[in-house]
Amino acid sequence: MSLYDSRRRRYHDQFDWPLFLSVVLIAVIGVVNLYSATSPYALSGRTGLADVYVNQVYWLVVGGLLAILVSVIDYRNFERLAYVLYVGGVVTLLLVFVLGGEIRGSSRWIKLGSFTFQPSEFMKILVILAVAKNLSEDSKSESRTLVDLLPAGFLCALPVVLVMSQPDFGTSTIYTLSVMAMMATIKIHHKTLAALAVSGVLGGIGLWEYILLPYQKARVTSFLNPEQDKDAGWHALQSKTAIGNGGLTGEGFKEGTQNQFGFLPDQFSDFPFSVFAEDHGFVGAASLLLLYGFVCIWSFNVAASAKDRFGSAVAVGVGAMFFWHTFFNVGMAVGIIPVVGITLPLFSYGGSSVITVLVGFGLLMNISMRR
Amino acid sequence: MSSLLLRSDVMDYRRRYRGIVFLVVLAFTGLIGRLVQLQIVEGDQHRAQARKNIVRTRTLNTTRGVIRDAHGQVLAGSRPSYNAYVVPEQIDMKETWPRVAQLMGLTDAERVEMEAKILGVQNSRRANQQTLLKVDLRREVVAVLETHEDQLEGVEVSPQAVRYYPYGELGAHIVGYMREVDAESLARLEGRGYRSGDRLGAVGVERRWESYLRGQRGWKKYVRKANKRRDREAIEKRYLEEPRRLEPVPGRDISLTFDIELEQSVERAMRGQLGGAVVVADVRTGRILAALSKPSFNPEVASGSKGKQAVRDAYKRLTNDPLKPRLDKTISAAYPPGSTYKPFSALAALAKRKMRAHDEVDCRGGYEFGKRYFRCTGVHRGVNLHEAIVQSCNTYFYQLGEAMRIDDLAEVGMDFGFGTKTGIGINPEARGRMPTRSWYTRRYKGQYRGGFKLLAAIGQGATTVTVLQLALAYAAIANGGTLYQPQVVRSIETSNGTVVQDFPPRVRRIVNVDPDRLSAIRSALTEVVTTRKGTAYKEHIDGVDMAGKTGTAEVSRVSAKTVDPGRVWYFNRDHAWFSGYAPAVSPEIAIVVLIEHGGAGGKNAVPVAMRVVRDWQQLRARRRAERADKKKSDSL
Repeated sequence: MSLYDSRRRRYHDQFDWPLFLSVVLIAVIGVVNLYSATSPYALSGRTGLADVYVNQVYWLVVGGLLAILVSVIDYRNFERLAYVLYVGGVVTLLLVFVLGGEIRGSSRWIKLGSFTFQPSEFMKILVILAVAKNLSEDSKSESRTLVDLLPAGFLCALPVVLVMSQPDFGTSTIYTLSVMAMMATIKIHHKTLAALAVSGVLGGIGLWEYILLPYQKARVTSFLNPEQDKDAGWHALQSKTAIGNGGLTGEGFKEGTQNQFGFLPDQFSDFPFSVFAEDHGFVGAASLLLLYGFVCIWSFNVAASAKDRFGSAVAVGVGAMFFWHTFFNVGMAVGIIPVVGITLPLFSYGGSSVITVLVGFGLLMNISMRR
Repeated sequence: MSSLLLRSDVMDYRRRYRGIVFLVVLAFTGLIGRLVQLQIVEGDQHRAQARKNIVRTRTLNTTRGVIRDAHGQVLAGSRPSYNAYVVPEQIDMKETWPRVAQLMGLTDAERVEMEAKILGVQNSRRANQQTLLKVDLRREVVAVLETHEDQLEGVEVSPQAVRYYPYGELGAHIVGYMREVDAESLARLEGRGYRSGDRLGAVGVERRWESYLRGQRGWKKYVRKANKRRDREAIEKRYLEEPRRLEPVPGRDISLTFDIELEQSVERAMRGQLGGAVVVADVRTGRILAALSKPSFNPEVASGSKGKQAVRDAYKRLTNDPLKPRLDKTISAAYPPGSTYKPFSALAALAKRKMRAHDEVDCRGGYEFGKRYFRCTGVHRGVNLHEAIVQSCNTYFYQLGEAMRIDDLAEVGMDFGFGTKTGIGINPEARGRMPTRSWYTRRYKGQYRGGFKLLAAIGQGATTVTVLQLALAYAAIANGGTLYQPQVVRSIETSNGTVVQDFPPRVRRIVNVDPDRLSAIRSALTEVVTTRKGTAYKEHIDGVDMAGKTGTAEVSRVSAKTVDPGRVWYFNRDHAWFSGYAPAVSPEIAIVVLIEHGGAGGKNAVPVAMRVVRDWQQLRARRRAERADKKKSDSL
């Protein structure tokens, strides 16, 4: 059987239609929602912002092509290249400090021609690949100890430190939590778990005391007391009002007043979910969450049926990344989590984010088709 | 590498798969649960908040009622005043500002001052708020600024209703002026819709009739930023609940009893006098036709049309002026009436039968009483009551006073309304004083002296009256003994002219006096003006028909310690009085003229009264002719 034939057969027989259709559906709804989110700008003549949904389509096309590319190359090639890619990613992250332009107080972006891209986004995939490789190389069958986890921990900690100092608290959280999810799928010694728990608490205190910047802390304190601190709690409050205003069936497409009259801040990056929930109400918002939830569970499903440990770990990593993004973004929109700049996959506007998510799904598709 | 071992780890994962899926389901259930809470349980509350965000209420201002005189002339109205503001955050100080300064014709000093003010707030929290640039722009400037509006970003011109008083200082004490509501009044007037920055009547009619003049604000709901949208009407229909609008109720208009033309002639007659007061009242109704207190003030500046600084400056200047321009000298101040009080002493003596009209007294230029010598204005030889009034003989009245009890003098005075408030209703009213024995006992700790009643009989000593009281008392003499309550407000009307409330004349009291005695007094008062011996004769103007009594009231001496040394001579001069009525037969108006420190009444106050009555006669003739013309044209 020729290589071509086997490939074609895989696309025919093992093509993961549920995953594909769900992702395409989310992406389409996401673009339509961006159109609603930015429609007030069209009225006020700020066409630059009004056209972001068109740009999003471009990014989806670029990301989609990359995803197809990633899905057809056997993922074991990525396994071989994982560390090289990882080092390349770390170097790019370092470049941010040299070349990065500052936007709103933090330097996360590199300018490339007329595009800016955010290396920390792509790094998410690279960290997942490297950690997956590290975890799968160790073939022990007994419970792992702290020492066994150190290399993987380091692979995660390095980009976390780099991204924290940009500073970008949200992205480093995603790294940490995705890697933790990957680790949670392997056997770990009880003592190690206890030690991790203790160091987690201490790390949290240390983070609060020494690392978090005042504005980052303010987001947390304002989350706890939104009425007290009008400035920092304002965004969260308006988002909750927008979602609540949606009611059962919503105000209607492009009719949500909180968005249309400019009360929702960052409606196309941080709060696209609030726009959707206001337009389409509980019916729409809950259905959307079910769709996201389905994709998460499906990813873990893929992991469970993967043919090797690397594939399984990568699938868990991508699924976890998708889950944490969704959980944090929606969580902050509904006001149960402090406002941290974490995007909603395929809903938030942004090229780097869209491409990263789609490449992640390319990998997932790859693993799914080769079980 | 054993694929079996590899598999075992995957198998390991499969065991945890359920746990992970469970956690994911839990997390999404949590999020959906939160959606249930926000969108379904608390949905109405959030929707209400979302509506509150976009629906705003704009206040619709009302217009304050107009104050008119008895013949429809506007004495107080409202006009738009255009104020220029700068929004420091928006203005370009390099490009726009010099152009603004040039277009507005700011002086260099103003320009520098404003520049500092703008730059001062440019980096503060108030940078996005309007900063006052100039109040009450001239119309040309408003027009120029509006023409260049699109080039002047950050400059805003907005109209504001200010009170205007077409006759300026004329009758300012009666009409009143406006002041900004202070914190104390805001607290006191809570629930009546006053807001910080509002103005309310400060004195006079503006104050007393505030609740009528003020009107009621309305409001209008609107959707924020909707005016930029094409689908505005649909939006408003969708988001605005009924009622969308409450129309403001304009304030009531008030017609005064004043005749501003008469007031103008009073003002003309009083030119050249530093301070004083004149009241002209209708003897048949008690209505006040003119009331002038001098010096006056500009009610428009006091009301704030030239800005707050101008108000503060004016207040300071008026308060420090020794001539007391803020004091309403017709109502709020009491003066010794001097000889103008003599008719009342005479009536008291006749009523108590202590003197008869034909009893004669020999005046040798004064009267010895105890150890003191009370001086007269001249040597009148034998005078009876009639002549004593005509020539204003003090000696006669000293003896009259000696023959009486002081309480009897006071009793008749009080019957004519002295010593009590008249009830005019505007401005703080001075009572004046009718001294009684018990008052003196209290005042001088039991040392009552007989001389007091001698002085009381000639309107000196402790006796004080207000100009208004005197005018009404003379009106009572003129009309046969009816003491009216003075009125300044004739009617209240809606803004379209319908009379809401009308104020008919109110009689306070019928004075207990014999009509024959009153007519005896009236004939004496007539001769004061018409006979050669009369104290007002010298200043008589041909054709002026009036009667009255002059007065020259001594004032309590001041020293250089209390007033400016250069002005001591002025403040020690006597007050000049004339009180009377016109015409002498079947009188219509009562007039009282007080010239503070004006010297002799006969010489100084009489000419004023003469001119006012002359003008009044002409005015009356003109009005009658006009009425006749109107009747003729109506019947045609």
